Amino acid sequence: MCLRRHAAHLIAGCFAAVLLAAGGAAAEQDNWPAVVAEARGQTVYFNAWGGDLTINRYLQWAADRLREDHGVELRHVKVTDIAEAVARVRAERAAGRDDNGSIDLLWINGENFAALQSAGLLHGPWVSEVPNASYVDWEGNPTTLIDGTIATDGFELPWGTAALTLFFDKSQVSLPPTNPATLLRWIGDHPGRFSYPQPPAFLGSAFLKQLLLLLVDDSGHLQQPAGDDFGKVTEPLWAWLNQAHPHMWRRGRLFPLSGPAQRDLLAVGELDWMLSYNPSEASRAIRNGDLHDGIGAMHFAGGALANSHFIAIPYNSSATAGARVVANFLLSPEAQARKADEQHWGDPSVLDIDKLDTDDQQAFSALQIGTATPPAAKRYLPEPHPSWTTALEQAWLERYVR
Amino acid sequence: MLRRPAIVILVAVSAVPTIAGLAAALWFGLDAGAFSRVLGTPGVGLSIASSIWSGSIATVISLMLAHLAVGLAVSGGWRTRLNALTLPLLAMPHLAVGIGLALLLAPSGVLMRLLSPWATGFELPPDWLTVQDPAALSLIAGLVLKETCFLIMALMAALAQVPSARLQLQAQTLGYGPLKSWLTAVAPLLQQQIRLPLAAVLVFGISNVELAIPLGPGLPPTFSVLLWRWFTDANPLIHSQAYAGTLLLLLATAATVVAAMTVSNLARYVLRSSVQGGRRHSDDRFAQGVIKATLILLWTVGVLAIVAIVLRSVSGAWRFPALLPAGDWLSRWNDVLPTAGNTAAITVALATATALVGLALVLPAAEQCRHDARTRATVGAWLFLPLLVPQMTFLFGVQVLLVRMNIDGTFVAVLWSHLLFALPYLWGLLAPARAAIDPRYRQVAATLGAPPSRAWLTVTLPLLARSGLLALALAFSVSIALYLPTLFAGAGRFATAATEAAAAAGSGNLRLASVHALLLAVLPLIAFAGAYASGSWLFRHRQGVPR
Repeated sequence: MCLRRHAAHLIAGCFAAVLLAAGGAAAEQDNWPAVVAEARGQTVYFNAWGGDLTINRYLQWAADRLREDHGVELRHVKVTDIAEAVARVRAERAAGRDDNGSIDLLWINGENFAALQSAGLLHGPWVSEVPNASYVDWEGNPTTLIDGTIATDGFELPWGTAALTLFFDKSQVSLPPTNPATLLRWIGDHPGRFSYPQPPAFLGSAFLKQLLLLLVDDSGHLQQPAGDDFGKVTEPLWAWLNQAHPHMWRRGRLFPLSGPAQRDLLAVGELDWMLSYNPSEASRAIRNGDLHDGIGAMHFAGGALANSHFIAIPYNSSATAGARVVANFLLSPEAQARKADEQHWGDPSVLDIDKLDTDDQQAFSALQIGTATPPAAKRYLPEPHPSWTTALEQAWLERYVR
Repeated sequence: MLRRPAIVILVAVSAVPTIAGLAAALWFGLDAGAFSRVLGTPGVGLSIASSIWSGSIATVISLMLAHLAVGLAVSGGWRTRLNALTLPLLAMPHLAVGIGLALLLAPSGVLMRLLSPWATGFELPPDWLTVQDPAALSLIAGLVLKETCFLIMALMAALAQVPSARLQLQAQTLGYGPLKSWLTAVAPLLQQQIRLPLAAVLVFGISNVELAIPLGPGLPPTFSVLLWRWFTDANPLIHSQAYAGTLLLLLATAATVVAAMTVSNLARYVLRSSVQGGRRHSDDRFAQGVIKATLILLWTVGVLAIVAIVLRSVSGAWRFPALLPAGDWLSRWNDVLPTAGNTAAITVALATATALVGLALVLPAAEQCRHDARTRATVGAWLFLPLLVPQMTFLFGVQVLLVRMNIDGTFVAVLWSHLLFALPYLWGLLAPARAAIDPRYRQVAATLGAPPSRAWLTVTLPLLARSGLLALALAFSVSIALYLPTLFAGAGRFATAATEAAAAAGSGNLRLASVHALLLAVLPLIAFAGAYASGSWLFRHRQGVPR
């Protein structure tokens, strides 16, 4: 039953996409001037992860612009984990604070979105009312509509897309192996020079999912919850890992504990590879002096594991008009181009460049791309159903911790 | 004892939360479902085994080294030098030692860079498991480095209780060499005196995360690190697993301590039979040389670990085999300074408050039992309690209680948790120092018409000043080094050098960890240097003030 409901969600999501693409939302956008007028003078509390200085500075810039252009006061409430904000919305619901909530906008995706959405704690659907949403690459990038296999249904607006990227030391890797088989061969030829973060570290699990998506015959099957056939479906993954581990760093008996740990190991020369969800991570690190020059980047030819991150409005926000104006600004070609700029943030845009007018296209093509940033992935592979992630992590631990 | 309120207050401040914490841990940790999940975790058996193995082996090695070092130093006349060698290492927090050693010993570490490529031929770092090895050898090395120093200090303090010179002389007149005289006649008596510190070393060895995070094995980690990961997990279901796990840790630690006591009785029996064998060696020069070399090696490793920390804290890209990091060092520091400055301020504020409040609690109590050696020993044993239980176990209970009382994450809660660990050291230093002051000084002051308060201020206090300053520095350093108490009582809201260093090291980010480790290493050294300097300045016109 669960499976069927899931499929229904997927279909609904795709349907929404088609509607948006066809401009079916035009009627709703007619009200936009009224929203902008209502927003003037409102203060929008934006709860967003505050652990990165560059990102915080970007949001400060957005706040300055919103104050000047729209009279909206954007306040960045820096959280260490957005789950805290999710808990706060829940607590407010429990306390009966159904309006005038303390949060007006959330930076969110995956399980946190699923938690709020399933509990009916999000405002919306509102995405189609936002004019700049029409520039989003809904058709080319399915992760803008399906958030970890849950349809967004217009309750959250995509803000940026992440694609799993592999970075390598060009002095050691002459021809990057872009599929699992050639990567395995490279690892065999270069003992001790490859590794990946230890699952259940975020990027380590991502690497397992990426390999699995490429190694199974039918990757669509992974969109459904993992079931009894988990062992059979994941067989090729374990075969790959069993062959690779003996030739990996420390013979697969020790793994970097996180993405930053692996970057450290690349920086001191212990490894030739690192992973990141952000394609511009290496270029940024080189600019900051955290990595040496001569880093290359690649996505797997079969497609890059990708997900989008979103912004959503809690059900009890008292500044929904302001929040929508902020969302519209954050999705504007200007703000998206600045966000994609490695000097300011370096997070890939969710917009379809072809939909923009020539001036805005210019802004994107004028961006200075670092030498270690790959061209956009040719294919995005959406995340498998979350149940696969937990099952993969557990199976990995059972196999390799002994 | 009840008629001496300062003593009651002092003991209560330490024992009440410790015992209540333990009780709460037992109450909330006993959960059959959680236990079975703990035991079902992949590799958990190996994880517990490697905790017990590394803690026990490190304790045995440290104890032997410490006995030999003290025996040889006292009989060889270099006792002061031994003090000077061990104090800086003792002052260096475990976390900083662990991070420093990891940066020193890794295949891409400073040691290998010093030798490459001219001696080793390595252009790329070799793929060796020199740190975080499955046999936990690097963890044992880190523990030995720190605990040898701790035990040397404990043995030196115990020397005052034992007529060592007379005993050694007697054995020597029977024809034994100085070292064997020491080991057969003096060491067993000292051993009796340091049972509590020794147990604390064993408990810490098994249950620590400070060294096990950067140096311990990875797949699986030691049990305490596994528990620590569970505690810091976002999933509440995993927390209940951590609670149950702390009880298992307590059980494993208690079992090991009991086993160690049995083994040590056995060892005494074996030692006695070797004495009864009556073989005599009179030449200790070889042993002297070996032990001196070992101590100098430990000390050099400690210094190199600090060098490694400094280098890594200013390096970004630092490809092997370059000995020095490339790029603009100063600008890298500028990146870090704003956040590091904030962390340093909180760290220093906590440590200063701990030292001052601790002193205020200990001084009156020391005053009240200055003539009573037995009460001093009893109080000392009570204050030692928090060091004899795995920190995680009772701190988790303390955290639950703090949350119930809604005072978790407050400055007072964190300060209190720090006091638990600073008080035993303050007492160990100040109670004997106060008792050693000749009561006739005060009698003279009274004869001259000074009321008791004035006599205390003008006579006793100056005589205590040097020990007091040293005690302040010691308590300050203890607080700087504390990680788990800050984490558990602080509800994650207190970012100290230790919490930041542990978090960074825990995610394997050694460069970020090194920045905070540097702060960790430097602050205690500043405190001790300050204590010595102000002591000398205070008494620059005096002679014969006790050190």
